[in-house]
Amino acid sequence: MNFAFTDDQVLLRNSARSVLDEQVKPAHVRAMMDDAAGYDDAFWQEMAKLGWLGLPFPEEQGGAGLGLVELAILLEELGRAAYPGPYVATVVLGGLGLSLAGSAAQKEKWLSAVAAGRARLSAALLDQHLDWDPAATTTTASRTAAGFALTGAKRFVPWAHVADAVLVPARAPEGLTLFLVDPRAAGVTLAPMVGIDLASRWSEMRLAEAAVGPDAVVGPVGGAGPALEALLRRAAVAASAEMLGAARRCLDMSVEYAKVREQFGQPIGSFQAIRHRCAEMLMEAENAHAAVYYAAWALEAGAEDASVAASVCKSYVSEAARKVCGDAIQNHGGIGFTWEYDLHLYVKRAKALEPMFGDAEHHRELIARHVAAA
Amino acid sequence: MDLNYTPEDVAFRKQVRTWLEQHMPRHEVKTLEERKVWHRKLYEAGYLGMRWPREYGGYGARPMEEAIVADELARAKAPAPTNGLGLGIVGPTIIVHGTPAQKARYLPKILTAEEMWCQLYSEPNAGSDLAALRTSAEDRGDHFVVNGQKIWTSGGKVADWGLLLARTDPKVAKHKGITCFLMRMRQPGVDVRPLKQITGSAEFCEVFMTGARVEKADQVGGLGEGWAIAQTTLGYERGGRALARITSYASQFGRLVEAARQLTRHGRPLLDSPVVRQKLGRIWAELEVERYQALRTLTLLERGEHPGAGGSLTKLSYSEFEKRYMELVQEILGPYGQLTQGAPRELHLEVDTAVGEQGTWAYAFLWSRAGTIYAGSSEIQKNVIGERILGLPKEVRADRTGVAR
Repeated sequence: MNFAFTDDQVLLRNSARSVLDEQVKPAHVRAMMDDAAGYDDAFWQEMAKLGWLGLPFPEEQGGAGLGLVELAILLEELGRAAYPGPYVATVVLGGLGLSLAGSAAQKEKWLSAVAAGRARLSAALLDQHLDWDPAATTTTASRTAAGFALTGAKRFVPWAHVADAVLVPARAPEGLTLFLVDPRAAGVTLAPMVGIDLASRWSEMRLAEAAVGPDAVVGPVGGAGPALEALLRRAAVAASAEMLGAARRCLDMSVEYAKVREQFGQPIGSFQAIRHRCAEMLMEAENAHAAVYYAAWALEAGAEDASVAASVCKSYVSEAARKVCGDAIQNHGGIGFTWEYDLHLYVKRAKALEPMFGDAEHHRELIARHVAAA
Repeated sequence: MDLNYTPEDVAFRKQVRTWLEQHMPRHEVKTLEERKVWHRKLYEAGYLGMRWPREYGGYGARPMEEAIVADELARAKAPAPTNGLGLGIVGPTIIVHGTPAQKARYLPKILTAEEMWCQLYSEPNAGSDLAALRTSAEDRGDHFVVNGQKIWTSGGKVADWGLLLARTDPKVAKHKGITCFLMRMRQPGVDVRPLKQITGSAEFCEVFMTGARVEKADQVGGLGEGWAIAQTTLGYERGGRALARITSYASQFGRLVEAARQLTRHGRPLLDSPVVRQKLGRIWAELEVERYQALRTLTLLERGEHPGAGGSLTKLSYSEFEKRYMELVQEILGPYGQLTQGAPRELHLEVDTAVGEQGTWAYAFLWSRAGTIYAGSSEIQKNVIGERILGLPKEVRADRTGVAR
């Protein structure tokens, strides 16, 4: 039993933090908010060189062969920086999706391209409804002479506008099936969906009899359910790690501000109203840390409680991050409400991830199923 | 990071479980004498005083082994050992600060529960502000004479001895004039009165000292060192209860789910209600997070590190959780949650209220209000976290200078 990072894991965290402190400053995040693509390709190539883009993939596919704990460590740091770019979309949604369900040829082609910085991916996990259960997929895949034709509408597809391929679940005659779709192909149209976090990009993806060949099928025809559920669990923990990082940044900013901001002739951190709130924020951040890394370890190790641990993680961290980020605005007072001050970059990152891959309520229902069945 | 138990820990757990299967008391353990017999059995098996050094009668065990034993006791719903304050606070204080004579005289009888101990710290006007205590100990040459009143003394009724904080010098700053003593409870100058709590029972006492006698040989540490000694023992991380606490919560939770299966509304089990399911999901998630945190604490202890002010985060988190937990239980069970008698048998409403204590949800609910007050209220824990972990400035306080009275 050892619930502490190894020396290598500490090294990864420290080096990620120093790279991001240097290269993903708030000014960079703001610049990307106004950029058409929304991310900086030079830094993307830098991430490839650092081994971040292939972090969880096997070495034979150009990856670093590391696990979900290491991935969570990097994601926490990316969240702490409010990194603007398709990292989660590419490495977690597309990359882990292909790792879970793809054929050897698909992994060979895509994972090595991702690791080398040559390809960006995404996954379209939500249709027009608000149901994260893969079984609720309404997009259809009908058989054609050349393969399949996909029809339906996907929403909140992260970074689809810069993706080379998007994993698309659709209902084939045989059942739920996963397809790899080129978002620039005929029959596919993208429209931007702009949320409050301008450093995260989403699209609505309309499929009108979009034709794909048989080689676009990922995993068994009609049998995509288990892989999609496994992918959603990983995505939920990944989003939690990013929320944890954003929340930590908000906590750190609050504490620093409370030490220097004076009112009534004293630093505001000397008032219990502020100090106690900061203490509660730290408690929530520490609890969220435990939830994130327990779940990451459990999924990696294939622990018995891995599924429910992912739901514990997402439900807990969604609310903990909400509290910590919201309290950070309150601690800062008026300045925390200004566009110019950087706090909102991190607050909005956490908020954007709160409903993704199942909100707290969704995951509490999954927990209830688990405990009612026990 | 590896959250699997080591093969040694798995084997040790199995050994403890087997021992418990063979030695669990066949009859209900009720009286203090029966409890002491069970306590001694546990001690002789090597399951109490586990982390005390061998030279003082302990077993030099690892924190994880101690946690596993407590966890298995909770899992088996075994009766709790007794003399918790003796083992958890008084013994460690004597081990660190006591004289060789004190160690030889007191430690063995703490381990066997031959002598029961209480802790005489809080006073009616010295709660969160413990250093404001007014109980005095006057030097009379070969002994001290103690006058004053203590409150919230757990186990005061059954204690043979008390670990006492008293003021020996009223002329210096309040933190500096306090000395630590070992005081015999069974003497004419000591009057112990049970204090009935909102639960209806009396786990705590008030202790009145009128000319009580303390021997010179029973002074612990130097004159005026009492506050510093109390700080080390207040922060003494027991950790051993870390897992057992969660196991008790989980065992209660199992009962709650069963009750939600039995109770119906609109002709359907409560367990089918989305609202109830949200509440159950919330409790379980928070309970699991407390378990993960217990594993983090144990990791630190296993590495020989001291959580320090981090212990305040742990205490704040679980005690506040327990209150939310019990409020949600009350919401789910409605009036059944308040029953102290007459609970329908089929609902199995009796639960673990503490390790080895079966009781009602009503009792567990009321008791949940104690955790955020005792051993440093949540407000005190937040001050510690703010000042010592986050490095926020101390508030301006009027009592840092000047004399005690």
